Amino acid sequence: MLCFEHVGLRYGIGPEVLSDISFMLEQGSFHFLCGPSGSGKTSLMTLMYLGRSPTRGLITMFGQNINGMGRTELSPLRQRIGVVFQDFRLMPHLSAFDNVALPLRVQGKPEKEIRINVNELLEWVGLGDHKHALPHTMSGGQQQRVAIARAVIARPRLLMADEPTGNLDDEIGFRLMGLFEQLNRMGTTIVIATHNQQILTRMAQPRLVLEKGGLRTEMPPAGKKKNQGAGAA
Amino acid sequence: MKFPSFITAERVVGRAETRRYDLPLNNGPGSGFLTLLIGLMAFLAALTLAAFFGLSGMTDRWSSGLENKATVEVPARTAEGTLLAPEAVDELTARVDVALKAQPGIKSTKRLSEDDIRALIQPWLGDSDLPGKVPLPGLISLDLSSSDPEIIGALEKVVTDNAPGARIDRHESWLHDLLRFTGGLRTAAFLLSLAIGCTAAAAVAGAVQARMAIHSADVELLHLIGASDSYIAGQFQRHFLILALKGAAAGTLAGGLALLGTAWIMGGGSESGLLPGLALTPPQMAAILFLPLAAGLLATVAARQTALRTLSRML
Repeated sequence: MLCFEHVGLRYGIGPEVLSDISFMLEQGSFHFLCGPSGSGKTSLMTLMYLGRSPTRGLITMFGQNINGMGRTELSPLRQRIGVVFQDFRLMPHLSAFDNVALPLRVQGKPEKEIRINVNELLEWVGLGDHKHALPHTMSGGQQQRVAIARAVIARPRLLMADEPTGNLDDEIGFRLMGLFEQLNRMGTTIVIATHNQQILTRMAQPRLVLEKGGLRTEMPPAGKKKNQGAGAA
Repeated sequence: MKFPSFITAERVVGRAETRRYDLPLNNGPGSGFLTLLIGLMAFLAALTLAAFFGLSGMTDRWSSGLENKATVEVPARTAEGTLLAPEAVDELTARVDVALKAQPGIKSTKRLSEDDIRALIQPWLGDSDLPGKVPLPGLISLDLSSSDPEIIGALEKVVTDNAPGARIDRHESWLHDLLRFTGGLRTAAFLLSLAIGCTAAAAVAGAVQARMAIHSADVELLHLIGASDSYIAGQFQRHFLILALKGAAAGTLAGGLALLGTAWIMGGGSESGLLPGLALTPPQMAAILFLPLAAGLLATVAARQTALRTLSRML
């Protein structure tokens, strides 16, 4: 469902931050994206959520070649992707409820359905009492939960999260990872960029490791049950 | 662990509604200024439209009032300079009148009496007894069925055959000047209306570009979660439609009050009847009352097109 072939990315006239990246993610796979700081994890995520076009190579998503795709054609693809940004990127003037509701409104869902689903999800992530709060009145952890709720509310086919548990305590962190696993069981492809060793140790999913601009796949330690795999060329 | 129910089973309830903005367009600076600007534009447009309608009405009245009309003047003095007796002028006038009545192209004729003629020159010479001492020409008002030059030429011949020195005045020379003058004013009023509309559209377009620059991060986020250009442009379109309706409604109301004041000062038009009053017909009033809707439409189109054009250069 997602295929990178010899993809490279550079910003302006600078050096390539991603060089010759090739891999394929199958529908319903679950991967962690790892690598040292500055290895290009966020750049790779940006390419994956169609926030930027590669400077070279071919990207195929949901069976469509996205190279040279027009803005109008990208919108429906983006509606099938959920993203938890590292800096959350919540709309500061919208309440937690309206931030979470945004993907559904963009898709033109009925307001009644939006109200029921968003309220239920906010309750589930422990923000039922904060649904009218503006982001700047919330803690980092609360904002992160709003960002995660926004990413999953529309039941995306591909969910990407950049350090989604960075500001969360262990309990809520694992609770949210459980939600990701549940979405994955229902067929959502998951890619999570994280440094959280506790999560990496506890969850036995394959890892895409970025190093020096290149990508390799690591299988989970022996003895742990692996989800679905992927291949890095 | 129990998960939210919609995660495990899709739920569809109700139907989509038009909602308020995702972008903080109401909180941005300059909304009040733009409303005021559109209000002023609507005020000027209301006055300009009223002037346009007034000038059009005046032109129509003049041209229709004098169309197919002519006046025969039988001079009180011969070509050699001899002053004719009033009875002689009267006799010549009667002869011309009878001859003209038999001609094709004449619907009706009316000989003006001495009193009618004195009443005509009274505004120019005042209430003194001078008009009584001035030799008066004979005048016949003609109602023509056609302005065909051939027929007019034949009528002129009949007139000069029966009263040497007499002539037909078709009022064209001065009427054309007046019509040209009012036509110029009317065109100027129309161009001014266009300029007002273009200025308002440019103001809206500039405001949309400024808002898009201010909220570029939010616009980009909307794109990343799958919002189409049309969805984003729709938010700007709705915001500026409401601003334009508010501003234009206030401006049109102010313009209407100004017109009422002007009409009150002008009264029912000039005493000579040459200049009409500022009375507008119901369709003309409806056209002025339509201004807020026109401003709303203009703002909608300008905002949408500008937003779409700006979005096409993003991402």
